[in-house]
Amino acid sequence: MTPVTAPMVGKVLNIQVKVGDRVQEDDTIIVMEAMKMEIPVVAPVTGTIQEIKVAAGDMVESEAVVALIE
Amino acid sequence: MLAETPSTDFGMAERKKPTDGVVTGYGKIDGRTVYVFGQDFTVIAGTVGAAHAEKIAYCIETARKIGVPVIGLYDSAGARIQEGLDVTRAIGKIFFQNSITSGTVPQISAIMGPCIGVAAYSPALTDFIIMVKGTSQMFITGPSVIREVTGEEVSMEELGGAKIHSEISGVADLVTSNDEECLQHIRKLLAYIPSSAFQVPPRVVSTDDPNRRIEDMENLVPEDPKKPYDVRRVIRRLADNDEFFELKPKWARNLVTGFGRLHGHSVGFIANQPLFLAGSLDVDCSDKASRFIRFCDAFSIPIITLVDVPGYLPGTKQERAGIIRHGAKMLYAYSEASVPKITLYLRKGYGGAKQAMCTREMGADQLFVWPGVELAVMGAAGAVGVLYKREIEQAANPEEMRRQKLEEFSERFSGPFEAVAKQYAHNAVRPEETRVRLIQALEMLTTKQEDRPRKKHGLMPV
Repeated sequence: MTPVTAPMVGKVLNIQVKVGDRVQEDDTIIVMEAMKMEIPVVAPVTGTIQEIKVAAGDMVESEAVVALIE
Repeated sequence: MLAETPSTDFGMAERKKPTDGVVTGYGKIDGRTVYVFGQDFTVIAGTVGAAHAEKIAYCIETARKIGVPVIGLYDSAGARIQEGLDVTRAIGKIFFQNSITSGTVPQISAIMGPCIGVAAYSPALTDFIIMVKGTSQMFITGPSVIREVTGEEVSMEELGGAKIHSEISGVADLVTSNDEECLQHIRKLLAYIPSSAFQVPPRVVSTDDPNRRIEDMENLVPEDPKKPYDVRRVIRRLADNDEFFELKPKWARNLVTGFGRLHGHSVGFIANQPLFLAGSLDVDCSDKASRFIRFCDAFSIPIITLVDVPGYLPGTKQERAGIIRHGAKMLYAYSEASVPKITLYLRKGYGGAKQAMCTREMGADQLFVWPGVELAVMGAAGAVGVLYKREIEQAANPEEMRRQKLEEFSERFSGPFEAVAKQYAHNAVRPEETRVRLIQALEMLTTKQEDRPRKKHGLMPV
């Protein structure tokens, strides 16, 4: 199980995948907003989304786990 | 040199072989003389004995005297402890030669096997480190010492493999998948840099039109300032034949550094990367940028800076990691650099972070802005919140008031006019004409001379 982590503090704008989706490395998992910019949070590995731990509008800390990939 | 270890202690008399585990010499790459030393793991595991270290130190010293690059191929089990103090003394000679040679001739290190213990400091003192995936490791204290002292279990690869040094520690500039590719990368790198600080970088005959307009350039950078994009695509489109030789591509990815060519002239590109951390500046990218700026300056390579920066990355983590002293390195390095410096604003520059990206005050010889640029002391939303705090709070409709002030503010500070009128920028350029204008400016600047106050040396923040 590989965690997908937020690169920096920010707000979750939207979630691009759902549990069970097959994702490739570098695919966008969620989009955050921070520093006046939209920040794509990408899959560190190729795999299947096991869990999504955040919802749109949530504030997340730097390095917070936002999703898990198997 | 067929030197061999003078030691006979601990059974070394039976193990000693000619060369003492390292081969040194000179040859040519693309017709240019280079000095090379290569450690040989098949001879006493490439361990660094006194004779071995003397040969390396002499090789570096000779390259400096002749004024040619020196390339080190590292593959060694570490210091040869059987030789005792003689080894540490001889390794010290390598460090001394690496250090005093720094900035005179390029020093390139290829890590093609283990490079461990105190020996790892030799490549660290050179200009570039290339590691080979899966077969190279660099660390100061090995897994067995770590286990003994801290109880931590870690493999050599997890401790100091290519992935660690290219993504986390920032020690390695490049990673290649095998030894051949590693050697090819050294050749590629050398093509961009001169043989010594007293020569100019090799210029190639470019097959790419210096008057090439880039009609789709505008599409590479989204108009909406919230939308990220890959600044490396902008760099590739600007450079001759779309070629960009990126350094440290997977470390401090919020800032991009690397070499390219403009009309055959070698240039160093530095750019904010909105794809990572919104392109903000942090501790690691300040290190990455300032080291690259200093290399370019030492070896007469003009610097092209592409700016789209929202500010410094906020947070206790950055402040405690010393963003003040690390961020200062960029200001220092840009100010110190006397090579031609051209800065281009792609979209926005806010606050102090834009000073760190080579403004005119930091010595940019030519500063261009694209038409849609926004330059301000801080982002519009933040500025409006501070400047009109009371008006917004007391308004009948605070949200409406905020929106109105935001619009006024953006209108006032967006676009190139204020920047040019107030001499922040030399000129506005159209995205499609950027390559043409960069080449004109670069060629105009070829004869640039700029002195600095006389001193022994400055004290770069470290």
